[in-house]
Amino acid sequence: MSNSPEPAVAPAESTKTEKLGAPVERKWHVKSEFTPEMLQEMEKLLPTKLSRAVAASLAGCIHCGMCSDACHYSVSIPEDKTLLPAYKADRFRKWYKYRFDWMGRIFPAFVGAKPLTKELAEDMYDKLFGGCTMCRRCTFNCPMGVDYGLMVRGARGILTQVGRVPENLQDTVDTHYNHGNNMAVPQDEFVETIEWIEEELQSEDGCENFKIPVDKKGARYFLTLNPREPKYYPLTIQASAKVLNAAGVDFTISSRYWDLTNYALFNGCDPDAKLFSQWQVDDVKRLGCEYLLAGECGHGYRALRWESPNWVGGVPFKITSMMELMAKIVQDGRIKLDKSVWDGHRFTYHDSCNIARSGGVMEEPRIIIRAAVNDFVEMEHNREQSFCCGGGGGALAMPEFAKRRIAAGKIKADEIRATGADHCLQSCHNCTDQLKEIVDHYGIKAKVMNLAELLSPAIVL
Amino acid sequence: MENKVGYALWVLQEPVQYICLLAMASMYAIKIYTLMKKPGPPEKAELKGDRFAGAIHSLLNVLRPWGMESTSKNPYFYLEFLVFHIAVVLTIGSTFFIPLFPTLMTPVVTKVIMLFMGLAFLIGLRRIYRRFTAPEIRIISSPDDYFAIILMTTFFGVGFVTMSLWLEGKPETGWMWIFFLMTTFFLLYVPFSKISHYVLYPFNRVIFGQIFGGRGVLNRNKTDIKWLPR
Repeated sequence: MSNSPEPAVAPAESTKTEKLGAPVERKWHVKSEFTPEMLQEMEKLLPTKLSRAVAASLAGCIHCGMCSDACHYSVSIPEDKTLLPAYKADRFRKWYKYRFDWMGRIFPAFVGAKPLTKELAEDMYDKLFGGCTMCRRCTFNCPMGVDYGLMVRGARGILTQVGRVPENLQDTVDTHYNHGNNMAVPQDEFVETIEWIEEELQSEDGCENFKIPVDKKGARYFLTLNPREPKYYPLTIQASAKVLNAAGVDFTISSRYWDLTNYALFNGCDPDAKLFSQWQVDDVKRLGCEYLLAGECGHGYRALRWESPNWVGGVPFKITSMMELMAKIVQDGRIKLDKSVWDGHRFTYHDSCNIARSGGVMEEPRIIIRAAVNDFVEMEHNREQSFCCGGGGGALAMPEFAKRRIAAGKIKADEIRATGADHCLQSCHNCTDQLKEIVDHYGIKAKVMNLAELLSPAIVL
Repeated sequence: MENKVGYALWVLQEPVQYICLLAMASMYAIKIYTLMKKPGPPEKAELKGDRFAGAIHSLLNVLRPWGMESTSKNPYFYLEFLVFHIAVVLTIGSTFFIPLFPTLMTPVVTKVIMLFMGLAFLIGLRRIYRRFTAPEIRIISSPDDYFAIILMTTFFGVGFVTMSLWLEGKPETGWMWIFFLMTTFFLLYVPFSKISHYVLYPFNRVIFGQIFGGRGVLNRNKTDIKWLPR
């Protein structure tokens, strides 16, 4: 054991050009169509994806059709019956039945079982990547409790493994694998961006002493970000930092594994999901933080809070989110808010599927909003019944399905319009981008913003 | 009421039924064992809710039509579901009561069972019509789906006539033979068909309840939020 004092900062801070991500870079071989070899490989992979939940969900559908009104695709595009959840899931189920269902093996046509053919595999690719965001709204409306989200993720994992995966989606995962964050933001550039944002924050009235500490050892909260924030939305980081500083929260941002996203949740690749999680777990341990704090990001929150501990076998720290922490700050009166700054504006809130339905964060955003504004209107479907905006499940990383994605956002656009709100709040970057697209596409005059951006201007310093 | 039947019908009503019942139970045991061998849903995350309470909540979902949008917006559909499944229980029950406890099949009990059988028959007809005509149902239907609903509906119809004859003091009729032959077929067929969904129901609902109960989505108390961080 060395007697030298513990360094004030973690080793990473002194090495701004550290190689992050996997030591050896890779490029996934994405295929444009299925070959017989790929189908053979899929046959081998199928049993490995059949957990109890997936197998029970594959076997449990009774074709009652109750899911037909639950899906934003089938509700927004009613003329296309192939977008019904049961139909989409059946692309996978037919193959499963052919392999494992007793009747399916003897009389396949009788129970709708089918062998895996190129056509069926293509149909799976089209419907399970391009026609489902794994939002689980149908799961909540299925009398049998069939978990479509888990089932579709299992199928996607098989398709990805053989290389039939949307190229942009896989690129995002590969970039994360190669660089440690999904936009290949270099470490030095990231630190410089944070320093610049800190300067911008300090230029705000009353914020002269506010800090955005990087690699501060022993900080209570390890704040993680979506790479879109340092790249395109630095004001979001500024707003979050302002809220945290104003409330006296002891936090830090890592210069290493600060990216909270995990697109392996979307392509179904468990080894990558585990690897990305492990990097972050090790980084939290390196800085000795008590909490891993997820920034405002839907799938990132779910991946960190609920999936990551399962992927890596448990974590020695707590995991929370900005939504929960901000609500706690508001609830405890640690910041003073002036609601009048938002007078004249009406707000509504879109529940991200991964935060609400799959994450359990539903009342917290409302506590924040009600503390900051006077005019808040709920959408017709909210909390766990909220419709997906259409941007979940990695849909924004699949340009080949963009037209369908925008069409599927119609029900959400209609609900935003019905509130009469001129601001649509949310806590997710995929939702941000999709909501911005659909309000524009469907001609709604509403600004899309997140919760930290709502609180920040209202804080009385 | 008395169940005075000949030897042949007795063989069908009792030994044959027991053998078929045993076969069905064996098939289910294999099904359940196969599922249980697979890894269950792990949860190493710090829970925000209660997995056990979530599982119970989810299992009882069937009794809360307001719990799901799909049933709360379709109360008539839910009512049909309820009557249909009560009729299933009563009809299957009657196949045991008739040979084993005929005295339980009093005129009142028989009439109640007949009422549910009759209603279930009509509901079955409507469901058959829906499966053939509603585009969103037709597109997801396989022959098994049509066969199962037609079979059940016929079973209720046959059961209704059989019970009315039973009520008239005629325990051995052609209808009774058909009723018990159908029961025999059911016992053998059900484990291989979609009708076996009732065995899978607890699995799916418990898994659903564990996942979403643990995450604080189900059973949450809006006014008493268990905050994280504490």
